[in-house]
Amino acid sequence: MIGYLVAIATLVGIRALLTLGLNVQWGLTGLVNLGVVAFFAIGAYTSGLLAVSGVALPLAWTAALVASGVAGAALALAALRLREDYLAIVTLGFGEVLRLFLLNEAWLTRGANGITGIPRPLHAWFPAHYDLFYLGLVGLAVGTVYLLLERVSISPFGRVLRAIREDETVAAVAGKAVVRFKVQAFVIGAVVAGLAGVFFGHYLAYVEPNMFLPQETLFVWLALILGGSGNNRGAIVGAVLLLGLLEGSRFAKDLIPFLTGVRLAAAQQMLVGVLLVVLMIRRPEGLLPER
Amino acid sequence: MTNAAQYLFNGLVTGGILALPAVAFSVLWKLLRFPNFAVGAYLTIGAFAALAVNHGLGRGIEWAWLCALAVTGTVAWAVDRVVFHPMRDRRPFALAIASIGVTFFLENTVRFIWGNDYRSYDVPVTRALVWQGLRIGREQLMILGVTVLLVVLVQAFLGWTRLGVAMRATANNPLLARVKGLPTERIVGVATLGGGALAGGAGVFLGLDTTIDPLLGSGLIIAVFAAAILGGIGSAPGALLGALIVGVMEETSTLVIPPTYKSAVGFAIILAVLLVRPQGLAGGRP
Repeated sequence: MIGYLVAIATLVGIRALLTLGLNVQWGLTGLVNLGVVAFFAIGAYTSGLLAVSGVALPLAWTAALVASGVAGAALALAALRLREDYLAIVTLGFGEVLRLFLLNEAWLTRGANGITGIPRPLHAWFPAHYDLFYLGLVGLAVGTVYLLLERVSISPFGRVLRAIREDETVAAVAGKAVVRFKVQAFVIGAVVAGLAGVFFGHYLAYVEPNMFLPQETLFVWLALILGGSGNNRGAIVGAVLLLGLLEGSRFAKDLIPFLTGVRLAAAQQMLVGVLLVVLMIRRPEGLLPER
Repeated sequence: MTNAAQYLFNGLVTGGILALPAVAFSVLWKLLRFPNFAVGAYLTIGAFAALAVNHGLGRGIEWAWLCALAVTGTVAWAVDRVVFHPMRDRRPFALAIASIGVTFFLENTVRFIWGNDYRSYDVPVTRALVWQGLRIGREQLMILGVTVLLVVLVQAFLGWTRLGVAMRATANNPLLARVKGLPTERIVGVATLGGGALAGGAGVFLGLDTTIDPLLGSGLIIAVFAAAILGGIGSAPGALLGALIVGVMEETSTLVIPPTYKSAVGFAIILAVLLVRPQGLAGGRP
């Protein structure tokens, strides 16, 4: 039971990182990223592939963060330079194409087999309670990212991002280079999602393309809208509640006998869809509104 | 040569299937000012509504198709009333996110009822026509014919009827249209009903051409977006042209790149249009 709770808490932490990243993009700046899962995957795959081929872990992690950031910058530049309303579509497409790439370019990504044996950092130091140690690492990362993003949020930079979200013409008239700020915000979010991917890969010691389905992006969105977009604390609360919801509905199987596996999964995702819609209509500010 | 011609023809059929949802997506984007991701789910709803009529009631595919139009149009209209109507004055992207929630709900409702299995319609097996070595299925000809006819009807409606002109006026300037006393909500209602019906009809075509499963529509969504963007947002003939180009490029791409990357062609086209001619072929802006 303790082991189960530790595992759940670790996954909540990883989801909280994803939600914090999206909060910079959507919550603070109003940019729609429908490819959150792509940056998650880039982080996990870059770090995993480099680590299994013998690159020192800190180097592999740095490379993973750089790769996520560069991908984010390229996409944001392509979409934001001209037509903001394309960003949603371009990021959605990017997520799908990236998954195709991971599945088909086996020479680089090992295809559908995925990467096995991704080393777990400092495993030899804590043979007995390694999962607990890893949870501590993830917690530390969530705390650090939270504090950094809080700084960003109250800084002049964060104020510009909010101004762009509310009315980008006004921000432009005030002399702010709107596109540059948007691209920077998008890159910060992409790097944080990449960091979540790094923790994910080294935690499971295994990644494969079907871990990165589009529905994962939807879960991150639901967590953010539920917790309160624009509020970093809300992003973390949302991630906790979402995992409660997803795990809790697993137990519903024992209570409702006629639900088969497929129906249970479908019912769970129907619930996710309805919840997202109802929140968007009724309570777009979430549980913890932006201050 | 025959081989290339066959790819070209198959591409035109693929494009024909893409055309109706692309027209719906494009016109609705221009009118309501947000990309409606639920168009993919409308294809799935249409395909399964026709399946229910075709298998459940044992009626022919023509009846099933008409029922699919009615059911999907109604679903799209209901979604607009329940979800998008209360959100009309919100940021466009908030509506886009809500439309993704709608997609997820509709697709999984279908999965809840029918499961994940691949299905197909009960239709009489017909022999394909062979003309100069080119295999042409009768259903494929019908799909292309009906699609072109429907796009012509949409264009005639937008160009020549009072309601169609009012719809374009509302798309151009919603505030002015309201001030002038146009019934904008009724116009939006008609547009979503019609757009939903078009997408639902295309879902049946897709089911006839391939197989039917709950992810039928969302597998096509990137190609639909590509067709609409390539054609120019808001233009029905543009969306038809864009769809035919996307269809042909997807099919002929398999001559050069592995077929597993077929669905990446749409994404490449979106990026290319974005960088070279963001207003699309017909020059529309949402």
